[in-house]
Amino acid sequence: MSTLEEAKKAVVEEFSMYDEWLDKYEYLIELGKNLEPYPEEDKTEDKLIKGCQSRVWLDSRFEDGKIFFKADSDAIITKGIISLLIGVYSGRTPEEIAGDDFGFINEIGLKENLSPTRANGLVSMIEKIKELAKEKSAADVLTAEDAKALAPLYDNVVLALKQVYDPEIPVNVYDLGLIYELIINKKHEAFIKMTFTAPTCPMADEVLSEVKKSVSDVPGITACEVELTFDPPWDQSMLSDEARIDLGMD
Amino acid sequence: MRIQEIRNMFPALSASVYGRPLVYLDNAATSQRLDGVVKKMDDLALWTNANIHRAVHKLAADATEEYESTRDAVRDFIGAESREEIVFTSGTTDSINLAAFSLGETFVGEGDEIIVTEEEHHSNIVPWQMLCLRKGATLKVLGVDDDGHLKIGDLESLITDRTRLVAVAHISNVLGIVNPVKEIVSICHSKGCPVLIDGAQGIVHETVDVRDLDCDFYALSGHKIYAATGTGVLYGKKKWLDRMVPYQGGGEMISTVSFSGTTYAPLPGKFEAGTRNINAIPTLKPALEFLKLLRDKELQEEITGVRDYLGSALQQLGKVRLFGVPRGTETKIPLFSFTVDGAHHEDLALILDKMGIAVRSGQMCAEPLMDRYGVTGMTRVSLAPYNTLEEAEYFVNSLGKAISMLI
Repeated sequence: MSTLEEAKKAVVEEFSMYDEWLDKYEYLIELGKNLEPYPEEDKTEDKLIKGCQSRVWLDSRFEDGKIFFKADSDAIITKGIISLLIGVYSGRTPEEIAGDDFGFINEIGLKENLSPTRANGLVSMIEKIKELAKEKSAADVLTAEDAKALAPLYDNVVLALKQVYDPEIPVNVYDLGLIYELIINKKHEAFIKMTFTAPTCPMADEVLSEVKKSVSDVPGITACEVELTFDPPWDQSMLSDEARIDLGMD
Repeated sequence: MRIQEIRNMFPALSASVYGRPLVYLDNAATSQRLDGVVKKMDDLALWTNANIHRAVHKLAADATEEYESTRDAVRDFIGAESREEIVFTSGTTDSINLAAFSLGETFVGEGDEIIVTEEEHHSNIVPWQMLCLRKGATLKVLGVDDDGHLKIGDLESLITDRTRLVAVAHISNVLGIVNPVKEIVSICHSKGCPVLIDGAQGIVHETVDVRDLDCDFYALSGHKIYAATGTGVLYGKKKWLDRMVPYQGGGEMISTVSFSGTTYAPLPGKFEAGTRNINAIPTLKPALEFLKLLRDKELQEEITGVRDYLGSALQQLGKVRLFGVPRGTETKIPLFSFTVDGAHHEDLALILDKMGIAVRSGQMCAEPLMDRYGVTGMTRVSLAPYNTLEEAEYFVNSLGKAISMLI
């Protein structure tokens, strides 16, 4: 198999043969028609990336340290671009994908089809590919020894998170249930996905940086990345039992 | 007067895209700017820029005159009884939000009902949904039949003594059929219920006389009638506007302010808080004059010819399914939304774009209507009086080519 760079170069070269826009579209339509069929039963809500115009389904599997994608769209030009993306990125390691800037799309003049300012399923698909790669590269495959080294780190990171308090409620961010995801990889880098009780929290930036600092200070942790999400929105059911007692709710 | 003369008044129409002459057929989204409108904007921004109403200096007086004479022009154009009934907004969406808020805060309570129709644009659905959420009211929906007609027969029984308002489009931005709004108003009034008409498309294609229609509110946008973006009007009968609480608080909308309380300005100032789009609102004047110009009989015949050609040519293209089929004496505006079996609307629009043709594709801000017809989106072509028969023919040929590329 060619390298990622070679694969991208091949696509750019292929496209440079077409001067006319309509010829480029003809080519993409051809690619779209020949894309490996996507199973109808996998067109489920969780795999659907909804755009304003076309719908895109994306499915992935992780095998031998590589991510394999399959995808589909109800629009054929989008499907052609999907075919290009799969050709280039499927079967790569998460690190390769996570480290790529997807800039070659601009080189072949498809930038406008992919502009993030247009509500387009394709843009979301690229975001999703990046996200999947990032998650996988963070999760990585662990040996028994890796796991042994990681276990106390998880405990200590949780302790560190319990030191950070919500500015408005006297409960720490961990027991409040604001931490949606905590991943520590082999390199002992921590990835945290968290939320706030309300999207309008005025102290958001400060709390985020406090979380980052507190976790980074845990001995053995080499780096910490914090991502904010409001999906799903926080609600009271996410409170820990300790928090319920602290708040006198039970 | 001929289409070509109208064309010459729109500088943008001489543009090229991707090395081809621009064929702009997305006029229902926004029209191109009339040269007189562009000049008016320029003049206002350069030479008559001062805040209106308050200051005593010359520029302020001139700017005020420009703004307030626009109100008279609008009043005259839509036949409102008084200038106080003309509220300037940023567009139809803003107008409907104003009405939904102020009317809702004043007249709508828990258990009350608002009626909208299945063919409404999101801007005539969501503000009412928000109102219903705030007040614990219910949103009810008047359906549309398979051919794109409102089920007027269902209206009377849908209205109850809890119905506080019926909000309906004069012309749907997807179906393009002129709704019998006068009849709708009469049915609603017979049940004691006021009516708001979303006139975003209606003002473009119909002669609107609000007193003849007897509607209680009429909302419209400037940018679809060749005026500047960010301009719009809410017409409201004085009897309603007088009783409605203000929408936004701020300067201009007050009479006296103290910390113990504020009294509001009389109409229409009560609804025009803050500095409005004063450099743009007066562009409604040249735009309305232009609309009057379009009433020319010879021109109307030519425009009708282009519409009829396009309608029948689309019907003759195989695989095309048209939405909004007029019957009897109904008027269909030169707007055609369609789907093509086996070709996605996004693909069609992308290919047409590269042929220099601007059309709209997608849900067209009318998701419930897309669901009604079981489609994920449509392609829409909408004409303005500057679109020629040659452009329509080029579009039909190009559409044929695009379809053959895709299927």
